[in-house]
Amino acid sequence: MAQARLKETQAKENIFFYRLMQALAKIWKAPWQVKASVLVMGLGQICYGQIIKGLIYLACLAGLIWYFVTTGAADFIGFFTLGTQQEDLWLGIPGDNSMNMLILGIFAIVIGLFGILLWITNMKDCLFTAEEVKAGRKPRSFRETLRHMADDKFHVTALTLPMVGVTIFSVLPIVFMILIAFTNLGGDVVYPKLADWSFDAWSKLLNVDKLSGTFGKILSWNVLWAISTTLINFLGGLGLALLLNKPNVKGKKIWRAFPILAYAIPGFISMLGFKFMFSQSGPINSMLTSAGHDAIFFLTNDASAKWWARGIGLFVNAWIAIPSLMLMMTGYLGNINTDMYEAAELDGASKFQQFRKITLPFVIFSTTPVLIGQFVGNFNNFGIFFFMRSGVISNYGDYFLASDTDLLINWLYNLSVDNNYYSVGAAISLIIFMITSTVSLAVYVRSNAYKQEDTYQ
Amino acid sequence: MMTIQAREGHTAPTNESQRSRWPSVASAAKRGDGRRWKKYTLRRFADDAFTYTTLIIVSLIFVFPCLWLVLASFSKSGSLYDMRGFFPAEYSAQTFVELFTDDVNGLYPYKKWFMNTLYVSSMSCIFGTILVILTGYVMSKFNFKGRNGVKKLTLVLGMFPGFMGMTAIYIIMAQLNLLNRLEALIFLYSATAPMGYLVQKGYFDSIPNNIQDAARIDGASNLQIFWKITMPLSKPMLVYTALTQFAWPWSDCLLPKLILKSRDQWTVAVGLYSMPETHFSRFAAGSVFIAVPIVILYFFLVKHIVSGLTAGAVKG
Repeated sequence: MAQARLKETQAKENIFFYRLMQALAKIWKAPWQVKASVLVMGLGQICYGQIIKGLIYLACLAGLIWYFVTTGAADFIGFFTLGTQQEDLWLGIPGDNSMNMLILGIFAIVIGLFGILLWITNMKDCLFTAEEVKAGRKPRSFRETLRHMADDKFHVTALTLPMVGVTIFSVLPIVFMILIAFTNLGGDVVYPKLADWSFDAWSKLLNVDKLSGTFGKILSWNVLWAISTTLINFLGGLGLALLLNKPNVKGKKIWRAFPILAYAIPGFISMLGFKFMFSQSGPINSMLTSAGHDAIFFLTNDASAKWWARGIGLFVNAWIAIPSLMLMMTGYLGNINTDMYEAAELDGASKFQQFRKITLPFVIFSTTPVLIGQFVGNFNNFGIFFFMRSGVISNYGDYFLASDTDLLINWLYNLSVDNNYYSVGAAISLIIFMITSTVSLAVYVRSNAYKQEDTYQ
Repeated sequence: MMTIQAREGHTAPTNESQRSRWPSVASAAKRGDGRRWKKYTLRRFADDAFTYTTLIIVSLIFVFPCLWLVLASFSKSGSLYDMRGFFPAEYSAQTFVELFTDDVNGLYPYKKWFMNTLYVSSMSCIFGTILVILTGYVMSKFNFKGRNGVKKLTLVLGMFPGFMGMTAIYIIMAQLNLLNRLEALIFLYSATAPMGYLVQKGYFDSIPNNIQDAARIDGASNLQIFWKITMPLSKPMLVYTALTQFAWPWSDCLLPKLILKSRDQWTVAVGLYSMPETHFSRFAAGSVFIAVPIVILYFFLVKHIVSGLTAGAVKG
């Protein structure tokens, strides 16, 4: 299979090369208007009388040139140098800010790629018009172009805006963070100091005891957390759904309303509420003290709080997540063919056997993608310990800028947003990415939901 | 997908009679054994008792914290320290009045926060819904070059930790002169919304293609098919999408905390996060006030939510 795929990609490459040659040949043979378009975007369209479209292309070209002349070209070079001029207060020379230069450099590259894309569409468009004219038809009017965009090219028109948004606000920041992991930005190296490309962060993460020790401890807790909380929530949601699905339960709607209430309350309110509930002077502790018991350090900065806080985290996360899983499971349970239970009953299967052999396989079959999503989401569950134990730094346990309940993602936040350890933070997020993507891809590719994706269409 | 609830409601009773009553009654009658019948009812009673006790305990666990917050919001004294265990010492609706009239020297301008949140949420809801629906529809119904590439790319992007790029977003917003402005949040929420198009795609996948093909033959353009045929069929998904797009900015705390610096530009989530234990009943009242509308919405739309939750899951 792998070999077949390899051949396929080779064939694709050949096709790509072949197509490129073909396109060049086409342009070579095309009338002068197309060549004009190759040189100046939009010129060919204007020569064919498509004034408005041509002017739009021309305006884009002008904008691109203006951008690259004023800042773009310098930004592009800055991407590689990450700044050459350090700030000099004596001479009053403003220095380069490496971080800004990195992101503006990426931006320049994105704009450049966009420009090339636009240039190619411009040539294609002009070639199309040339063929139309050769066949004796009129070039498209602007109104016809618009209609064409709303119909045959609907997918392109519709996806343009989402693509631009995602590129700027999702892809660009992620690319930036990936690249930051390979610089020495952060720590001492922040503005006005200049940064450079290096593998500093990775060697620090592996070799500096303070960092590697904390990393190991947090990683093991993170894995434990992700597995246990996903399991608790999954079983809790399934159990609740089964319970509410029992034939002898009356008033299902009313019983279901309570979990839905918990589901509808914005998560941060629940988490902050629980923080107050378990706080040092909160109701639980005040009841404990009035009963003659000592107050317990549930979430506070104390070595004894470690397992209390972890347990409370598991509980609160279950409180928040179980209702939505319950709703989902209810949906699936309604889809199970009831004949199977009947047959099992006649064959003398006990309720438990029915559950193990019919309900569970079916539910697991249809929820594999959800389970993966839950696992990844829980692995990166930032909110729970951010809201409940913000500001707790566990110095007693040799944690570096983290508390003993923090997950990798919380540590990453402490490092890069609160304390400017940019490159180390970025390296950690790459590690998180590797873990979550490996786990989910491994499970997802094997799941039936993936294999039979198109069978319903 | 809408039929799940209805179907479930219909099958449950027949299910019961077929599954548990019928075989047992039949076998009991066949043997003419009175004791077996009695044992059966005893088991049934135990089952009922177990089921209802569990249900009551579970419901209490879910409802108690909410009830506690509501009670606390009616506490006369504002501080957490003055409560008697879980209950306030004295009750009064004063906190709700103060929430809007007294901002404690500009520390807690709740009215302003509320308006900010409403603005950001409704704007992001409108733009985000449009973008996600378009993306989901195109990814489901069009076969174009690069479709699989886009699919894989979004899958990979989704695996990165959510706010990994927060520093970058901060710099971008600084470059665009949008720091400390609510519009920055609207941009962010709506622009990143298409990343979660899979649920919508799953729903559109379940609409048969032949409806589209029939319209095509009748000469409808793709825009017309989308607007006049698919949209009216997709009301449940529209509702679900709009709700999630609204609820996310409504309850997000991180991005506003990063981008909004001055107190009167904050959203409610950031404001509530900043409240200490001495202002506990203010926190409770503020929470109740923004939780109530969204809770009511959820209860009205629970059917759509279930269909949304399952649609995304089945198709991945």
